[in-house]
Amino acid sequence: MKQELVQPHAYVALRLPSDSTIVVQVLPNTVSTISIGKYGAFQANNILGRPYHLTFEIRDSVTSDGKAQSGLRIVPAAELYADIKDEAPETPTEAEAGNLGASGDGVEYEIVGQNGEVVMRTNRRITDDPSSQIMTMDEIEALKAQSTGSGKELIAKILESHSALDQKTAFALAKYTLRKTKKYLRRFTVVPLDVATLARWILTDKEPMKIMELREEILSMIGSWSNVHCTPSVSTPSLDGEGMQTKGGRWLVVDETAGLLVAYMAEKMAILHPPDHNGEEAEGKVLSKQETDAVNGDDSIGNPATKHVVAPPPDHLRPRKTSGPGTTNTITLIHANAQPNLSLLKYFHFDAFNPSISHPLESHLKTLSWLQLLSPEDDMGCAEPEIVSEETIQSWKSGKRSNHFRKRRRWERINFVVDETRAGEFDGLIVASIMNPVSILRHTVPLLRGAAQVVVYSPTIEPLVELSDYYSTGRRTAFVTNPPDFNSMPTEDFPLNPTLLLAPTIQTARSRSWQVLPGRTHPLMTGRGGSEGYVFTATRVLPAEGKIEARGTFKRRKVDDGVTRNSSRQENAASGDSGSMEIDAS
Amino acid sequence: MAISSSFKSSPFLHCGPNAETDSLAILHLKRDLLIPTVLRSHDELNEGYSEGKVSNTRFGSFPHSTLIGVPWGSQVRASIVDTGSRGRKGWEGKGKKRKRDKESQAQDDVAGVEKKQKVEVESKAAVKAATGFVHLLPPTPEIWTASLPHRTQVVYTPDYSYILHRLRVTPGTVLIEAGAGSGSFTHAAARAVYNGHQNTNTEDSTQDSIMKRWGKVWSFEFHEQRAQKLQEEIEEHGLNGIVELTYRDVCQDGFTPNDTPASELKANAIFLDLPAPWLALKNLTRASPSSPLSPTTAIHLCTFSPCIEQVQRTITTLRTQGWTEIEMVEIAAHRIEVRRERVGLAEEGLRGVNDSPASVDEAIERLREVEGRSRIFRNEGNEGEEQATAPGPAQVSKQQRLENIRHALEGRKLYKEGRLIHRAEPEIKTHTSYLVFAILPRGWSEEDEELAQGKWPAKAEVKEENGGPISKRQKKKGAKTRAGGNKELEIEASMKA
Ligand SMILES: C[S@@+](CC[C@H](N)C(=O)[O-])C[C@H]1O[C@@H](n2cnc3c(N)ncnc32)[C@H](O)[C@@H]1O
Repeated sequence: MKQELVQPHAYVALRLPSDSTIVVQVLPNTVSTISIGKYGAFQANNILGRPYHLTFEIRDSVTSDGKAQSGLRIVPAAELYADIKDEAPETPTEAEAGNLGASGDGVEYEIVGQNGEVVMRTNRRITDDPSSQIMTMDEIEALKAQSTGSGKELIAKILESHSALDQKTAFALAKYTLRKTKKYLRRFTVVPLDVATLARWILTDKEPMKIMELREEILSMIGSWSNVHCTPSVSTPSLDGEGMQTKGGRWLVVDETAGLLVAYMAEKMAILHPPDHNGEEAEGKVLSKQETDAVNGDDSIGNPATKHVVAPPPDHLRPRKTSGPGTTNTITLIHANAQPNLSLLKYFHFDAFNPSISHPLESHLKTLSWLQLLSPEDDMGCAEPEIVSEETIQSWKSGKRSNHFRKRRRWERINFVVDETRAGEFDGLIVASIMNPVSILRHTVPLLRGAAQVVVYSPTIEPLVELSDYYSTGRRTAFVTNPPDFNSMPTEDFPLNPTLLLAPTIQTARSRSWQVLPGRTHPLMTGRGGSEGYVFTATRVLPAEGKIEARGTFKRRKVDDGVTRNSSRQENAASGDSGSMEIDAS
Repeated sequence: MAISSSFKSSPFLHCGPNAETDSLAILHLKRDLLIPTVLRSHDELNEGYSEGKVSNTRFGSFPHSTLIGVPWGSQVRASIVDTGSRGRKGWEGKGKKRKRDKESQAQDDVAGVEKKQKVEVESKAAVKAATGFVHLLPPTPEIWTASLPHRTQVVYTPDYSYILHRLRVTPGTVLIEAGAGSGSFTHAAARAVYNGHQNTNTEDSTQDSIMKRWGKVWSFEFHEQRAQKLQEEIEEHGLNGIVELTYRDVCQDGFTPNDTPASELKANAIFLDLPAPWLALKNLTRASPSSPLSPTTAIHLCTFSPCIEQVQRTITTLRTQGWTEIEMVEIAAHRIEVRRERVGLAEEGLRGVNDSPASVDEAIERLREVEGRSRIFRNEGNEGEEQATAPGPAQVSKQQRLENIRHALEGRKLYKEGRLIHRAEPEIKTHTSYLVFAILPRGWSEEDEELAQGKWPAKAEVKEENGGPISKRQKKKGAKTRAGGNKELEIEASMKA
């Protein structure tokens, strides 16, 4: 869980009237201000300790009667919608009735009639003349300079000065008002920088290529289909009778989105937030008057006996109680360069090069390179540092000594990770990489347990089409009917073992946003272009030994007549069964 | 249906290496043909087979003794099972639909498979059949959504994925859901909120339960049978303790679960899949004494409605009740099929191909041939009518040609021939529902604000209430150096007061 109140040093997102987002780190007690560009600036302390999702208005330094005032004003929710005249519900509520007054500053540019009907005007006689805006840019600037308000008065003045205003249709006027509002209203909303907000910000405001143009719709599908979730560490009596603890919740990932994917997975596995950055604990304790609602950090999942009688003090690191060195809920990342790129994790206070012991990712995130995975003997990091006798070590200077120990510790860790990874049995695999997915799956699918989920993201469809083709029913049938020599794999005909994945499917999703306003409801007219984004999903299976022959009806291409809901699709849905015609041949 | 209470953990949340007795399992026949069944070590209904409990499918019969203990994900061969002369009634349900109403049809999809006929009494080992197999999978919410018995419209994977994402449902979230319907959303939500099991068996667990905010789904359904059926599934799937289902009309009677005061829910996420969500909203305000909302967190809400009128009413109501960041979106998702498309004269007579000419050259070749044939026909046509009935040389050659093509098929690797293409699945859902999202910020009183101002006093020249203003110049400067709404801004000033 995330924080509910803005904490010192937190990264937060500020949503501006223009709908763009900026991200700032909130450093406490500083004199310098946080600037939101043309909308103004404010002090970090003005939002610290305040709840997220509030909208603030930057007040001018001097009130109209010459008195100094400071900082920010919280804009009440009712005021946010004061300009929208909803049709009255059958029973008007007080809030609704209060709306008119709520804007308070006498600005009247409602465009909808009292009882909800739109006061319609036509735009036939209006000429599109930029000069109909009588105020000049300079005048507007001047007005802005002496403005004492939130921008609302300014907008009202601009609107008043628009000579053709009476002629505008309701629709156009509403649009015009909206445009002016976006330009001059000095408001912003403080939003927690969770993974979803981070993803959206980078996609729309920052650097979409950095995250491979991963849209939220697709990201959320990756989450579902990979089945990544928080796994209990259950001590089940294993089938062989020994009461050993089961490993579980180990996901393998190839992430070239600068760590966005890792962060997303970590959030779903409850290993993204260190205990003291954990909303569960922080909630309610910043203000003492709030009821203390102490809860354990996520680290207690594996340790239900842990008790917190008193909530730990805020702003203090506590040593993490681990349930062993990451056997459940772990992420193993394979990277192409010598070091992984996990730069986005800094927004969650994790530095991959210098991980803090108090961060759950320190023990739950494991990284290794492709070289370390596939050919550890060629990797320097996997070579054991020489063993030095106790005496020699004692004779060293302390710097050299600790250097030696650090080297050995690093070696032990990487060796442990390499061995563990090569032993496989992962519960799932997620890939978002610009490398050819065929080469990635060739080496990773064998590391998955039976029934593990595989998800491959690609901004473009072509790599996934090729991948699906290698897992087509036709190819699988040919593979089973006439298996190639196992040692010669991969062959030209079988770049991948097509029997290891079940029901390969490509899918995509897109959201479409709407404007919902009285009398003016319609889909938004522009959206993001660029890559569409696709996911390939499949399930790792364990093929039966020896020849195995299918039975049943799928020699017939005919679609079962009685099948309505899903089954009519399955006959020729994506690659897996699309090859039914090829089966005829075998 | 017997309810097993012996689950330590739900197979949706954790499955060991092997399929275990009493676990829900999915028999994967092929894409979108998935049969859920609860694995039983014995034929507890005493209905039948000498092999114990058996799942019969289009692709063969599978005694559970051949499934239990097998690694999840295994391909399992069918067994030879005497299904008895009358034993075919419930076969697979989906395949051959009889004239039955949808509801009972849907039920048969699951339950029907497990209906058996009495054959003999003594139990015997299963014998492998020559053909037929299934893949044995543990359940996931995605598989369950694709295979569950439909009792209502359900929320499918693309929608629920996006909804849970936008609702910021993560481990530890307390989510309210109404109406539960067929439980599709419920299962996905349970996986998302899960952050450990509340131990209800041990005496001293109460302390923990209070301390930890356990992820939970508080689910409501006002249709009695549906509620009952879903309750059975929740228990059978080991989700009790995570999902708490209450039979109640949330519009009329609010969000008070059985045995728990609403004020103890402290929910921070809400999903309403109801015909009139705006009627439920009055029970989701902070003001109400029986408010189920967490007083110390923001609340994320989503409503799911097929019609735009529902959306408008919902949003109008939301605006009057303090909800902010109101947004409406639709999700359009589709699958894409990949295949090899074969075109050309060489494909003549084969199935699943287009045997028209693949190129201008082939077209000309074909035209020449036809041209030649008709010339023969015209020349011979003068000689009499028997020509029409007797097999002409052209027809013979066609037969021969088809024969040759069929012969050549043996040696071809069709899986890599033709052109690799992709296209949308034949039928796509262009509209499921409109998704309305809104956020109710945590309540923030003037005292709260005062306390916060005390804790985080404004700095330097700006003092509380009557301090000096930030100078315009300073503000301008800040704006200049950091202008540009798209840049990430960090304040690098010292932390000193
Ligand atoms: C479309 S279904 C929900 C489907 C569900 N989201 C799923 O994914 O399976 C709507 C359900 O809401 C229930 N319902 C309608 N009005 C209700 C109310 N006022 N209180 C509780 N449940 C209600 C209906 O009985 C129905 O089962």
